[in-house]
Amino acid sequence: MLQVLIQGLLLSGLYALIAVGFTLVFSVGRVLNLAYGAYLLIGGYAYFYFAQSLGLPKFAGVLLAGILGCVIGLVKYRLIVKPLKGDQVAIEIATLILAVVLQSAVILVFGDSSKILLPIIPGVERVAGAAIPYSNLFAAVASWVILLALWWFVKTTHTGRAMQAVSMDAKGAAISGVDADRINMITWAISGTLGAVAGVFFASYTQLYPGMWVAPLIIAVAVVIVGGIGSIIGTLIVAHIVGFLEVMTSAFIAPELRGVFTMILIIGILVLRPKGLFGREEI
Amino acid sequence: MALLEIDQLSAFYGKAQALYDVSLQVEEGSIIGVIGANGAGKSTLLDSVMGLTKTQGDIRLESASISGCKPGEIVRRGVGYAPERFNLFPYMSVRDNLLVGAYTARDDIARNLDMIHTLFPRLEEREGQETSTQSGGERQMVSLGRALMTSPRLLLVDEPTIGLAPKVCLEIADVLRRLQAEFGLTVVITEQNANFALTLAEQVHVLETGRIVASGTPAELTDDPRLAEAYFGH
Repeated sequence: MLQVLIQGLLLSGLYALIAVGFTLVFSVGRVLNLAYGAYLLIGGYAYFYFAQSLGLPKFAGVLLAGILGCVIGLVKYRLIVKPLKGDQVAIEIATLILAVVLQSAVILVFGDSSKILLPIIPGVERVAGAAIPYSNLFAAVASWVILLALWWFVKTTHTGRAMQAVSMDAKGAAISGVDADRINMITWAISGTLGAVAGVFFASYTQLYPGMWVAPLIIAVAVVIVGGIGSIIGTLIVAHIVGFLEVMTSAFIAPELRGVFTMILIIGILVLRPKGLFGREEI
Repeated sequence: MALLEIDQLSAFYGKAQALYDVSLQVEEGSIIGVIGANGAGKSTLLDSVMGLTKTQGDIRLESASISGCKPGEIVRRGVGYAPERFNLFPYMSVRDNLLVGAYTARDDIARNLDMIHTLFPRLEEREGQETSTQSGGERQMVSLGRALMTSPRLLLVDEPTIGLAPKVCLEIADVLRRLQAEFGLTVVITEQNANFALTLAEQVHVLETGRIVASGTPAELTDDPRLAEAYFGH
């Protein structure tokens, strides 16, 4: 039971990090970025290339993965989202296609076989019989540090307040002097960075393979739909519900069914409470 | 000297035209009123000055054209706007709403907050309250406060009395007068409540279906029998 509790806590922090970049973009730009999972894919492979293939320090690998995610986020906004000017369906199709293109690019460069990421921090700690890999502990702690930093940024800085303002009332933000285009660009950059860093942690949990962008996208969509599209607080709480649900399903029912109850939860919430458990238009 | 000059302005929502060749001038330090019925184009006029609508014609601030500028640039040049529907950020506190207004005027935050708390002491008392839980009068105060946080020289106020209790309307009128007299602001208000505009403004323009049909001092307009019957109730 303690093992389940610990695993649930560790996994939930990572899920919150995965989902928050997705919810940021949806809140501020009202864009469902279906290529979000590709940030994790690129982040994981970038870390693999820089830290394992080139042998750079692991911190540098994470940093470079984040920078690459940031650049891809910016390029995606400039070349796809902005020109499509709020045409939701076109953006969703374009971002989904982009994810497939990025997956193909990864196969071209790295091949289609899965790869194992070496632990960011090797070793395992045993607490009351429960095994906690340092790598997973690091991923969870780092996720929470990043989430707290993001929370501080959004709540206390001028740019963060402007992001909230754009998410709540675009006209109100405009007449306050906020340039929504610039704020959207910053949001896409942050989202890309968070996604890519989450990709490093996610790949260290599972493994690296070209189709790994799908599962995190489903997690992000699930957390955001159940929490309420646009709510960071809701996202954090529901990340824990989903994380614990998956860990408990794996432990007490069958590991093969770990994602099934998440799907049922999504459908149930969509039917019973379409705005989610905590949904309101804010970040 | 004219602070704002609007020259042959037409405004459009898609193919629909909302303003037709509107021209007016706003002298520095004055209070100007624009009155008209619902749908006359009052909000469109102010939105156009803020760069929020598609327009033809020219809008100049201190003789420099601001036509085609983004709203952020217009705010930076000294135009503040309190829109009719407030457009506040409902789940942010009063203080955070005001601080968003300081986005382009970060050096003036302390001075502007002082001014706003002097004008609206209630906002200081309730600075932690979310605006979604406030009354219409309080939201109007936050909306004006947010516009003042941009350090404007020209303040545009769209229908400041709509839906507000008479006592609150008097408070708002008093604040607008103080902004002109004590803080040297130039103010443009639009109003359906013509009598409110007449008590405040030195010059009033009457807008009907997107066109200015009369302009003058309050005394000149109230002496016009057609306007007196249509707008002033006598």
